[in-house]
Amino acid sequence: MGVMEKLEESTSSEAREYLTFRLDQEEYGIDILKVQEIRGYEPPTRVANAPNFIKGVVNLRGTIVPIVDMRLKFSCSKAEYNSFTVVIILNLRHRIVGIVVDSVSDVMELPPESLKSAPDIDSVIDSAAVLGLGSLGDRMLILLDIELLMSAPDMGLVGASD
Amino acid sequence: MPLILAVDDSPSMRKMVSFTLTGAGYQVVEAVDGQDAYEKAQSQSFDLVLTDQNMPRLDGLGLTRKLRDHPQFKTTPILMLTTESSDLMKQAGRAAGATGWLVKPFDPARLLDVIKKVIR
Amino acid sequence: MSETHQDSSGGGDFDLTQFYQIFFEEAGENLDLMEQMLLNLNLETADDEVLNGIFRCAHSVKGGAATFGFADVAELTHQMESLLDRLRRHELHPNSAMVDVLLESADASRSLLARHQAGGEGEVLPTGDLVRRISELAAGNTPVAAPAPVAVKPPPAVASPPKAASEAKSKSTRTLEIRIGPLERLEQADAVQELFRDIPGLGSISTLPLDVKNTRLFLVETGSTDEDLLDLFAFHVSRDYIQIKSVESTSEVVDSEPVAVGSVDDPLPGAPLAPLPGFGFFDGAPGAPATTTTALVAKTAAAKPAGSNSAAQPEAATIRVAISKVDQLINLVGELVITQAMLAQNSRALDPAVYQQLLSGLADLDRNTRDLQESVMSIRMIPMSIVFSRFPRMLRDLATKLGKKVDFVTQGEATELDKGLVEKITDPLTHLVRNSCDHGVESPAERLAAGKPETGTITLSASHQGGSIVIEVRDDGKGMSRQRILSKAKERGLDVSDQMSDAEVWQLIFAPGFSTAEVVTDVSGRGVGMDVVKKNIAALNGTVEIDSAEGYGMKVSVRLPLTLAIMDGMSVGVGGEVYILPLSSVVESFQVKADAVSTVGQGSQLVKVRDEYMPVIELEKIFQIPRFDFEKSCDIMVVVEADGSRVALLVDELLGQQQVVVKNLESNYRKVPNVSGATILGDGKVALILDTGALVRRSRH
Repeated sequence: MGVMEKLEESTSSEAREYLTFRLDQEEYGIDILKVQEIRGYEPPTRVANAPNFIKGVVNLRGTIVPIVDMRLKFSCSKAEYNSFTVVIILNLRHRIVGIVVDSVSDVMELPPESLKSAPDIDSVIDSAAVLGLGSLGDRMLILLDIELLMSAPDMGLVGASD
Repeated sequence: MPLILAVDDSPSMRKMVSFTLTGAGYQVVEAVDGQDAYEKAQSQSFDLVLTDQNMPRLDGLGLTRKLRDHPQFKTTPILMLTTESSDLMKQAGRAAGATGWLVKPFDPARLLDVIKKVIR
Repeated sequence: MSETHQDSSGGGDFDLTQFYQIFFEEAGENLDLMEQMLLNLNLETADDEVLNGIFRCAHSVKGGAATFGFADVAELTHQMESLLDRLRRHELHPNSAMVDVLLESADASRSLLARHQAGGEGEVLPTGDLVRRISELAAGNTPVAAPAPVAVKPPPAVASPPKAASEAKSKSTRTLEIRIGPLERLEQADAVQELFRDIPGLGSISTLPLDVKNTRLFLVETGSTDEDLLDLFAFHVSRDYIQIKSVESTSEVVDSEPVAVGSVDDPLPGAPLAPLPGFGFFDGAPGAPATTTTALVAKTAAAKPAGSNSAAQPEAATIRVAISKVDQLINLVGELVITQAMLAQNSRALDPAVYQQLLSGLADLDRNTRDLQESVMSIRMIPMSIVFSRFPRMLRDLATKLGKKVDFVTQGEATELDKGLVEKITDPLTHLVRNSCDHGVESPAERLAAGKPETGTITLSASHQGGSIVIEVRDDGKGMSRQRILSKAKERGLDVSDQMSDAEVWQLIFAPGFSTAEVVTDVSGRGVGMDVVKKNIAALNGTVEIDSAEGYGMKVSVRLPLTLAIMDGMSVGVGGEVYILPLSSVVESFQVKADAVSTVGQGSQLVKVRDEYMPVIELEKIFQIPRFDFEKSCDIMVVVEADGSRVALLVDELLGQQQVVVKNLESNYRKVPNVSGATILGDGKVALILDTGALVRRSRH
């Protein structure tokens, strides 16, 4: 499916709001409706035999939620865990999951006209999950289909029997 | 406000009767069979007893007899709700001391009419 | 809404549709209960209480159906009720044709009700044939279920001698022949019969053959005088048409002179109008509206209290609650358990002297929380009889279809299990029972040839063992052939050896795609295999074991954890991480001495515990636990038992026992091997709960 179709499909004629976060040198945007909350990082309980970017599971007010460190999955630079480390808790169709990112910026409203396709984008993230590029002023956002990204097999959240 | 004891082992019938009666301003106590009804009668005085016939533990006729033996209920109106329209039940009902009968299926309007005739 | 809803005359304010749902549920329960009782009915020595119970079920459904305007159901159940009434009065003896037609009618009633419940769409189920068969049986004939409509002959009245049991014979009982007719409507004569049915002590009545049109002849035994009888019958039939003849004395006919009979419910001045059929008052009865009482009172014989028709078990008061409310309650209690555990943990460091009251309060809280939790969990527990209830019928039909004779025995019906499990265990159990019937129990001929009784037995039992519920399906059929399974396994390229133990050989049938004649893959056309059974049970954190003796039979044991949500756990520490073991699978723990451990091929270790050698599982290895502190090492073994075997888990330390709330790991993550769930510790951190069954199985290969 071409990017433009994806963009058209996912965006309505109204402007949508995106939460922006930083991974390494890039800024990304995800649909704010998928974001449940933003928390600090607490060391999760390790789960054996999981890929290294799945740090483990935490207790979120009684629910067990896996934590995926996007920096380990996608970026080259080291991942640090300190008081500034941020976890975005996502409420997706089939699961609640937390992702660790470098930092969270703000919520931006992007009118559809400002969205562009990004066929040649050089991003660590699989282009299938890239919806397009959004620009506001001199900022360039890589818009992600976070549902698709988190349910990809290589993200390790979807079991073999799912 | 008159207090009526409605006895039937069928929940849907009880609910229907109860609903009909309370809608007309009566107070209703429900019992699931004759035994339950008799126990409730030990601690409350009712102005009228409506009872189904076929129930486990103690049926309508049995309940009627027991109530008539009880000093408090010697003259309380007791109406039997029966699915039989033949005289078999009427005969036995009279012998047990019932005041009257009402045939099922009845419509709620008739129930209220009949009750009005006997309730004091 | 319902197309057969009766018009309430003048009662337009009353909307009965709001009671429909209650009635549908209630009727469903009554039909289910009726079916169960019919299947349990011992045809030789039919239990009075059971017969009465079945009658009452039909009666109740009929009453409600009539009241709420479902005429088709009312009619069918009315017929069933008539037959059942004759049965409970011992006027007829139950036989399997009657049970069959009643079961079919119960099914038909269910379908009719379902149709009403769905708004009346769909084809109307024809019930004419059922009604015909019931009335023939009720009359004492053997009906033929004819596919094409056949003109039904009026069944000849067969004299069925009434059983003496229910009638109290007085000293002055007389035997009479009573002839009634000619009548315009024969129902009038039937009504006379009904009088004997419901006036206790009146006597007994049976029909005699008579070849005269529109006339009936009855044989009556009664203590009442002829006058009394005529008075009584007068409600239905005028005296002119009644002839009473005493059988002992010859041809003494009571003079049928017309007598003005005052009907018991004569409308008298001031009394309510009786003409409206449907209600009336007994003149002179207590509480009746004021009337002048001049009516004759027909004498009734001393009555046996009608309350003797008591049910087998007293009804307990119950209320209906939405399942979501119960689940919410369980969640809240779970949270309470966690909070209480956290308080307990945080208060451990407090000085008891200073905080005596607080600590004592916390101890109370601990007790209260446990009690509350037990109570709440028990709400969701329902007896196994619910699960068992579907099998008698299913087996009966299946055995008949396969031409086999099977007795079905249940044990431990009162054993309780969580409602959530009930729904999920039913399918696998059904498959196992079908399997026993289809491939376990042999045909009657084969059984006789093998020196076994013609009728095979399938037993379904449930019991609590430790923290689990164990459900067994046993049959005394031909069992499994070890040789056949091994060769089939070899054929399929499975890794087997002749040295495998029997238990291991039986487990082979759970391999995906495995199918021999031993194992049914499809009895009802659904293609469910034993591997699916095993998978379903494993999904419930349960295990399946098989035992079999060729020629003698087979036993399948399903073991399930009792509750899904809260369990007693033992926490252990390995390399700084905390893991939870189900306390129910912990046998013992001890400090290990190096010389008790021996290494066998491929690096596995065994430890000797008293006289037993058992495999050692190093949790550190399995969970790849990073070890930073090289001085500390595992020197404690915890022996756990699961799936019939024992293994020793190697850990650093025992941290304690506590109740834990089991949280699902898979809802947001995925199934993790050797882990059955997660829990939240007192400090708010997550700990993984180990799947001891998986660990044990892992050590087996």
